Amino acid sequence: MVSIDIELHDVRKVYYKSTLAIPVLEGIDLQIAAGEFVVFMGPSGSGKSTLLHLLGGLDQPTSGSIRIGADYLEQMSETELTRWRSHHVGFIFQMYHLVPVLTAAENVELPLLLFELSSRERRQRVELALSVVGLAERMEHRPSQLSGGQEQRVAIARAIVTDPDLILADEPTGDLDAKTSTEILELLQLLNRDFGKTILMVTHDPKAASYGRRILHLEKGILHRDETNQPIHTSR
Amino acid sequence: MRLKLLYLLRNLLRNPRRSLLTCAAVGLPVMIYVLSMSVVDGVERFLDNSMTQLRLAVTQKTSIINPLPAGYRKKIAALDPSSQRIIAVCGMSWIGGRIEGDPRPLSTLAVDRDAFISAFPEFQLSEDEQAAWMRDRRAIILGRSTARQFGWQVGDRITLIPSLPPYSPMEFHVISTAEKATDPSTNWCHHAYWDEIKKQSGYPAEIVGFLFIKCATRQDMDYYRVAIDDFFANYSDATKTQDEKAFMNEFITQQFNLPRNLSILSAVTVFVAIMAAGNTMSMNFRDRFSELATMKALGFGRWTLFSQVQGESLLLCLLGGAVGAFVPYWAFNYSPLRNFTVPLIQQLEVTMVVCLQALLISAGVGVIAAAWPAIQAWRLSVVTALRNQE
Ligand SMILES: Nc1ncnc2c1ncn2[C@@H]1O[C@H](COP(=O)(O)OP(=O)(O)OP(=O)(O)O)[C@@H](O)[C@H]1O
Ligand SMILES: [Mg+2]
Repeated sequence: MVSIDIELHDVRKVYYKSTLAIPVLEGIDLQIAAGEFVVFMGPSGSGKSTLLHLLGGLDQPTSGSIRIGADYLEQMSETELTRWRSHHVGFIFQMYHLVPVLTAAENVELPLLLFELSSRERRQRVELALSVVGLAERMEHRPSQLSGGQEQRVAIARAIVTDPDLILADEPTGDLDAKTSTEILELLQLLNRDFGKTILMVTHDPKAASYGRRILHLEKGILHRDETNQPIHTSR
Repeated sequence: MRLKLLYLLRNLLRNPRRSLLTCAAVGLPVMIYVLSMSVVDGVERFLDNSMTQLRLAVTQKTSIINPLPAGYRKKIAALDPSSQRIIAVCGMSWIGGRIEGDPRPLSTLAVDRDAFISAFPEFQLSEDEQAAWMRDRRAIILGRSTARQFGWQVGDRITLIPSLPPYSPMEFHVISTAEKATDPSTNWCHHAYWDEIKKQSGYPAEIVGFLFIKCATRQDMDYYRVAIDDFFANYSDATKTQDEKAFMNEFITQQFNLPRNLSILSAVTVFVAIMAAGNTMSMNFRDRFSELATMKALGFGRWTLFSQVQGESLLLCLLGGAVGAFVPYWAFNYSPLRNFTVPLIQQLEVTMVVCLQALLISAGVGVIAAAWPAIQAWRLSVVTALRNQE
């Protein structure tokens, strides 16, 4: 089902503040197999989000190559990248970023509007995605009527509704309490284990990191350590 | 791209007070635009008509309020024995008028029965109306706004008291409400009837207020404008002959430079609308770039975001514009306000054309107001927008 693997070769990212060059990623070499659950850790400012953004095609590297499946992201135009994202990546953000005026179901439906699907097909997919995250009962609720954990689950439903190969999560539990965090992390684990999604997650929290099968430590724009982890097994 | 209208509407309701204020900020200037343009249009229509009608106005040289001898009709007609160049000579006298127990003044002109039909073809009277006009010396053609104002209809019998001596009541039969006439408020009756009323009370009836000369061509007009005054130069009542447009133009510019001042006013109000709407749009989207960035992350293209911003602004401004345009449209066509009178053009006619123009302008305001946020949305970097959020 999942065929995508990821290969980064000497990826660098430099930001410029007027004439001042700020190197953020200083030569990342990395390979990730399809179906992995990878966690990025590291101190604040070490470049975790930047790396995740590059992997998700939200930004272009200054140099180096990023191959995801058969696609070389650094060779794509912005329009191509935008289209590529809609087909291959699901994003989960710390702040959820749901559209406040849309219901849970409509938020989840949003990325489906980019595809040629009948409204019935869209409806079915939305229902499926929301039931995977356990929110089938909350379809018509607005984000303001949901708890933080529920909002994040809607965001996860939105990320998986297009059935992407790759799910990127930047501190998905950063704004949640311990109990809710566990629910979210178990959900990600489920998506990885039972649905075969490749998951790349950034976190500061060692407990959250323990859900991953591989933990990459970033420091000052360099991959510092690459460890394999025996993930916590959930009751599911 | 499937930009859902629903989503646009929901966004407008996101901050109802702000949306309402923007609507008002666009709607009020649009209303001012519609009203002033209606006045300008009225004046233009008035002038345009006088220009195409090839008519000369002959008045007494010293003042329009001095009458001319009735015999001038024949003398002027005799200047063109062939009747090929002067189509009609129509005597006219202003008799004003009001109805018993009602202070509202009317504007009624007594005109020559036969000459009126050929001198004022723009009335486009039907055959029945023409026949009634020719048959009945008490026939009156009402201005359509006057008819509406007083609730008179074709077939009604009305009694007017003239504003000039002998002030004896005159009974009229309404035979038309002049739907095609340029001037919607003036009424027209037979000069012979007016002469008769005056004779009955011993007032002189051999006079006429002024004369309208309908010419065949523009050359004829130019010729007779000079020829008539030359002919009467040595009479005790010398004449002043002008074409209708010059006559009206002079009148309008003497009074006030209405069209120009109103056009400037309209331009200023549209500018104000742009500023106000532009300000709201920037405020509106400043809070929402992270949302737009999320949509972009999901795979929505820059065109979608651009049109999302433009669409919202367009919808909001069109909404405001529609209210601003159609409230006056409704008011001046269907509410008691339709009887509101404006100097010179009398009744204010708010036309659909002006309303549609106003809508087009509202759309323009919407596009310009959202231009900056739309460009920002177009250039939006997901990474930067999300980073600024955190
Ligand atoms: N657009 C930019 N312009 C200049 N510097 C930037 C820009 N984006 C990121 N940086 C810098 O790059 C560095 C890495 O940022 P990044 O967000 O990737 O760190 P991070 O590891 O995710 O940190 P955190 O744990 O705080 O989220 C930071 O020093 C940041 O200030
Ligand atoms: Mg970060």
